Amino acid sequence: MKRISINPITRLEGHGKIEIFLDEAGNVANAYLQVPELRGFEQFCVGRPAEDMPIVTSRICGVCPEAHHMASVKALDQVFAADPPPAAKKIRELLYMAFFVTDHTTHFYALGGPDFIVGPDAPPAERNILGVIRKAGLEIGKQVIECRARNHHVIQMLGGRGIHPTAGLPGGWSKTVSEPERQEIQQAARQNVEFALFTLSLFESIVLKNSAYREMLGSEAYCHRTYSMGTVDARNCLNFYDGRIRVVDPEGRDFAVFPSSDYLGHIAEHVEPWTYLKFPFLKRIGWHGFRDGSDSGVYCATPLARLNVADRLATPRAQEFFERFYETCGSGKAGGRYRPVHHRLATHWARLIELLYAAERMLELASDAEVTSPEVRSIPREIAGEGIGSMEAPRGTLIHHYVTDREGRLRKVNLIVGTTHNHAAISMSIRKAAESLIRAGQVVEEGLLNRIEMAFRLYDPCLSCATHSLPGEMPLVVDIRSHEGERIRTLRRLP
Amino acid sequence: MKTIIVGIGNPVLSDDGVGLEIARRLAGRLAGRDDVDVVQMYGGGLRLMEALAGYQQAIVIDAIVTGGPPGTIHGSNPGTLWTGRHIHSTHDANLPMALDLGRAAGLSLPAEIRIWAVEAADVETVREGLSPMVEEAVPAVVERVVACFESACLERELEKP
Repeated sequence: MKRISINPITRLEGHGKIEIFLDEAGNVANAYLQVPELRGFEQFCVGRPAEDMPIVTSRICGVCPEAHHMASVKALDQVFAADPPPAAKKIRELLYMAFFVTDHTTHFYALGGPDFIVGPDAPPAERNILGVIRKAGLEIGKQVIECRARNHHVIQMLGGRGIHPTAGLPGGWSKTVSEPERQEIQQAARQNVEFALFTLSLFESIVLKNSAYREMLGSEAYCHRTYSMGTVDARNCLNFYDGRIRVVDPEGRDFAVFPSSDYLGHIAEHVEPWTYLKFPFLKRIGWHGFRDGSDSGVYCATPLARLNVADRLATPRAQEFFERFYETCGSGKAGGRYRPVHHRLATHWARLIELLYAAERMLELASDAEVTSPEVRSIPREIAGEGIGSMEAPRGTLIHHYVTDREGRLRKVNLIVGTTHNHAAISMSIRKAAESLIRAGQVVEEGLLNRIEMAFRLYDPCLSCATHSLPGEMPLVVDIRSHEGERIRTLRRLP
Repeated sequence: MKTIIVGIGNPVLSDDGVGLEIARRLAGRLAGRDDVDVVQMYGGGLRLMEALAGYQQAIVIDAIVTGGPPGTIHGSNPGTLWTGRHIHSTHDANLPMALDLGRAAGLSLPAEIRIWAVEAADVETVREGLSPMVEEAVPAVVERVVACFESACLERELEKP
């Protein structure tokens, strides 16, 4: 069997390696993502006081510490049986929306957007954020920097520290919000809404009005009809901070709705010998390999999957774009709701609709006088000994599960992060992208790298979370191996 | 002239945290000076660029894996080293690109950025603390940064009329 190995991919958080296996006819047999082992995370945590976890777990990833901090404090609310007062929940969600705006903005302008704004076939050296400002204007660069700065400031005000928040406590939050702070955050949220609307109009004018890009958006090369997972509130509206986990089948019918405390009843993890990452699948369906369809337990938890599980969005402008998204992508309605969209490149558009939702939700929360309430903490009075906290991280549903002894010391720790849910689907997308460019041993070199990068990037994978490791600089290297595994050539691209 | 010293890494991933440990010690050595700020960071790319805004000079200290002997200090000459495990973010931009973006957006960024990196032995085990050979390199980097910082300050003193 011929093996092509791409190691590692550019602009991908964490250390990853792609292996493409060819069959004897020289066509793609399988494609996988490999990641290195990170040793001892659970052992590192076991024996520590559970209340250390919001700080410890926020260290495992330099990109989404806010998500780990929040999932961790939510798990601690249960470990210490202390339900936070309403103001604390609102402050947490408010900080989290500022984080979401920053993260989704950065992804679009620096990672996902360049493929569209600069063009999928532009040289790699131009498909980056500098290429975006060359094409769409310097003002955009300024706006991205300003958006990041004002939201980092909000995170610092609310969370106690800029990058790794410290304010989360079991049963609430350690900082109150003053009235002038609330007004400042409200102003930042208004600017976020404007910026999100501007970004969506940029996407529509560049992508949707270009027939080639629109065709690419609906390309079968990036289509997988899988189950979708995400968090919804009691009205089945998307919610990033809290709610029940909902799974819909490839046709959009309800498959499961459950509180995160039941996750082990619904999700099992498949293990492959070639990677330390696990492949979660729907227990009731079972693992039937890397394939889509309603009889495969593979599911997705991405911005696209989240829109697919939501009946609607809870904020007005985001709801308008939600409707436009499904009307444009043309999946139609069934059972009173839009049927899922499965064309994975549409994830970029879905992410921008989420950006607008996060900005609008931030404005709602910042306009709520209750966030300035001094009642931000319920004091823990007992140790329940177990907690499962979940929420939607930018890359998918994030679950923290802790078990402690009677003193509150950790005995067991399990994390499922967004990228892990999507690991099987990422491998499937790489395979499909590779299939279109490797036929009978003929490899379209630059096209292959670009298409595989695009397959990866739409998931916004964060392998430092998935492996609890952290990244370095990653050139893109492709090894092409003969059927005996011997390397016959190397393609290389520096970041 | 104001300088920022940034130690960058992960404090719970063995030698990956060497830059943070060096920054911690430098903060003690340089305490009380109002021409230098010492900070610890956990990711590079845009966040690093944003941290450098407003300073005229920057020193960034990171872990690195080149396959050389653990504890080797890279970057003894200014401008010769332009990498490290965290200097660039694969999630948004590498540092040169981030600096170009920042300058294009009107941020005031240091004209001189010097990078020091210490060869790590283990960047895959979750634990606090450094490997012995990496630990040994820490005081050496601290002294060299302090020395180059002070000599630069001295040169500026001599330049004064």
